Amino acid sequence: MSTQVHANLTEEQVAEISEQLDEPEWLLETRLDALDALEDLDMPAVIQTPGREWTNLDALDYESFVDPLEMAQEKDRVDADGVDVLSWSEALDEHGDLIEEQFGSVVDPQRNYLTALSTALFSAGTVVYVPEGVDAEDVKIRTRMNSRALFNYTLVVAEESASVTILERQETGEDSEVASATSDASGRYYSGVVEAVADENAHVQYGALQNLDEDTYNYQVKRGHTDQYATVNWIEGNIGSRLTKTSVETRLLGDSSESKIVGAFFGHEDQHFDLGSRVWHEAEHTTADLVTRGVLDDTARSVYEGVQDVGQDAWDTNSYQRENTLMLSDESEADASPKLIINNHDTEASHSATVGQVDAEDMFYMTSRSIPEQVAENMLVEGFFEPVLSEVAVDEFREDLADLIAHRLRE
Amino acid sequence: MSSDQDHLRETDTEKRFEFKKEENSAFEAEKGLTEETIRVISEDKDEPQWMLDRRLRALEQFQEMPMPDDWPGAPDLSEVDVDEIVPYIRPDIETRGGAENWEDLPDEIQDTFDKLGIPEAEKNALSGVGAQYESEIVYQNMQERWEDKGVIFCDMDKAVQEHEEIVKEYFMTKAVPPSDNKFAALHGAIWSGGSFVYVPEDTTVDMPVQAYFRMNSDGMGQFEHTLIIAEENSEVHYIEGCSAPKYSAFNLHSGGVEVFVKENAHVQYSTVQNWSKNTYNLNTKRAIAEKDATMEWVSGSMGSKATMLYPSTILKGPGATDNHITIAMAGEGQNIDTGAKVYHNAPDTKSTIESKSISKDGGRTNYRGLVHMADGAENSSTSVECDALMFDNESTSDTMPYMEIQENKVDVAHEATVGKIGDEDVFYLETRGLDDDDAKQMIVAGFIEPITEELPIEYAVELNRLIELEMEGSLG
Repeated sequence: MSTQVHANLTEEQVAEISEQLDEPEWLLETRLDALDALEDLDMPAVIQTPGREWTNLDALDYESFVDPLEMAQEKDRVDADGVDVLSWSEALDEHGDLIEEQFGSVVDPQRNYLTALSTALFSAGTVVYVPEGVDAEDVKIRTRMNSRALFNYTLVVAEESASVTILERQETGEDSEVASATSDASGRYYSGVVEAVADENAHVQYGALQNLDEDTYNYQVKRGHTDQYATVNWIEGNIGSRLTKTSVETRLLGDSSESKIVGAFFGHEDQHFDLGSRVWHEAEHTTADLVTRGVLDDTARSVYEGVQDVGQDAWDTNSYQRENTLMLSDESEADASPKLIINNHDTEASHSATVGQVDAEDMFYMTSRSIPEQVAENMLVEGFFEPVLSEVAVDEFREDLADLIAHRLRE
Repeated sequence: MSSDQDHLRETDTEKRFEFKKEENSAFEAEKGLTEETIRVISEDKDEPQWMLDRRLRALEQFQEMPMPDDWPGAPDLSEVDVDEIVPYIRPDIETRGGAENWEDLPDEIQDTFDKLGIPEAEKNALSGVGAQYESEIVYQNMQERWEDKGVIFCDMDKAVQEHEEIVKEYFMTKAVPPSDNKFAALHGAIWSGGSFVYVPEDTTVDMPVQAYFRMNSDGMGQFEHTLIIAEENSEVHYIEGCSAPKYSAFNLHSGGVEVFVKENAHVQYSTVQNWSKNTYNLNTKRAIAEKDATMEWVSGSMGSKATMLYPSTILKGPGATDNHITIAMAGEGQNIDTGAKVYHNAPDTKSTIESKSISKDGGRTNYRGLVHMADGAENSSTSVECDALMFDNESTSDTMPYMEIQENKVDVAHEATVGKIGDEDVFYLETRGLDDDDAKQMIVAGFIEPITEELPIEYAVELNRLIELEMEGSLG
């Protein structure tokens, strides 16, 4: 295992990152604690069945990627009326207390080796602060990765009865060639942590469209907490990267809170997506809906784990999960494990998962209308994503995702 | 229902399973597991050298393998200390390999099986019966007409002596190697008793054969091995029943089942398990299905403190089919961890898994299943359905399926639901004059009906009786 990267990291480097960002003492301490913990932390859990490991994280060769002082990115932040969308330095300046209160409260910095690494080294960060009662649409964050490794951190705080829709795009910048030219090995590493806090009756929709360069190893954790009546909805589109491991999670902590986790992926060539959707029902009258649809072509592989965990105090829970995978190629592989963990009987919970190919009858119908076979298949694939696309509230996100899907279809 | 089954309705099921007999044995191994113990057991059985060698190799593997204690939600096995159990007890009987008449058995053993209703069932509905008491089969009989056709149904120990070549070829070599898991290795080291079933080509055994396993002694382990070989175009239904009275020490049951379903053959393996609530029931059951063969597993897990049971089928030949039907019920202090494993290793194979679980009074049921579609398993399909019913807030129900799909020309579907018993359904039945208990029992009976209807009528009745018993007085 190449988890020896921390051997090359020093407290001085971490201190330098922190200093450049003009961070307060507590944050430096948090970073140093995370660095210190690396020694004892494990890599994120991967599903194993007899004789088979669903994702091999050993392929992540950090040592060759990570130069803690050599990180570059570009960010465009489009804010909306009444919302603060701030860079990390600005945010520390304007909302230092808020950040101190919330940082690490949703995603434990020492959850695993990779989150701790991210905490120690992140240099790019964004804070979205939505004050009480503000209704904001279309906050946009575009991250272009311009170095071999990038550690990105995002905090979203929506105060009581506030509402916000955020769209984040993750891409590889064009001048990144320069950065990678300095090293012989290929490969990049992107690490992202998103924490979302929805206060009472707040509403957060967070969409992320990942289209990183296909030599990128990508690790992301997105996690939200809901207070009473609050909603946190996640939408994830995974198109790029060589290997992706993500977990999108909501803890429903307040009564009558809700979460929807929607995912779409389209893998081709030798891409590997390991995607997790997880929800914890920890209060009464909560509702969750997990929907993921994905297509695999060439030798692409997908791993899906969905968890619906209903706690003992989660009376009157509704929890649903659907996962559908379409395999276009004989060489592709799909693993899926949708799980129900139910500790309260006052629950209506279900999940379903399917794997298969394009429906033969649908194909027959289309070709009998003299539509060429490949065109018919492409139309059916685009149609397959429709239920997921229709969940996307932001038009621009929906169109971008649809374009990326269309672009990936066979000629 | 015919009057033949009335005895089953009238019996007091609780009394039938809970009675204890004096512990009266001819040979009892020392507690614990050492090479010496295994040599003693093997010698007591007068086994060929190759079997002793396999036992010793399995023992080595057992000692090297870790406990399966890192599975999420799995039963706590920390109490299972193999050094505390008595692995082998030979009851005091004269005939090795089982008597052919119940009358030849010592009174207390005869009485045990009488109370369990085995001779009665034999008379009415079975082709053959084997009965195991502690570590050895004490009774084994099959109707003559099957014997004439070349069907073999005998004690596994006897099979080692009399059908050595077949046993040597199949015994823990192809389906369940001891290296499969720690308890399979344990089983391989100290197995004793169990059934050997051999059905020749083109033979249909039209009434089920049954084996009944009874543990009577405190702190013992039962490790029976069942080997079923169904040759081409043959058909057999094997039924296994299990029970034990409750003691303070824990008991361990770790059976091994291997089924070989040859071309176009059909095997059904049904289990109704009602081990006492101090028993750890950790089994390894596996079938290999050849071309156009059908394997069916029907499992009812009602008893035990902890059960880990995932019958598996390897669909090896094109056109092979597997059906799994599982019902689990967990009450206070029980953790019933069951499921199924199916490997689709050939084209045109088909599997269905139906699982129903009921948890109440703090009990825990887990469904843990694996469906694997290998590359090349074209035109195969699988459908998995898991439904869980929960009675109260102290109980837990987990569903953990795993699907591994390496072939695209397949149809894979998994569905699961969890819910509480419907208030409206209960209300409806109450307005028709049923009381609360009866209404809930009726709903449970309806919930598991898809499974009971697959069982022979005696077993369906038995299962319903067990469920009623589990539910009596416990409903709020």
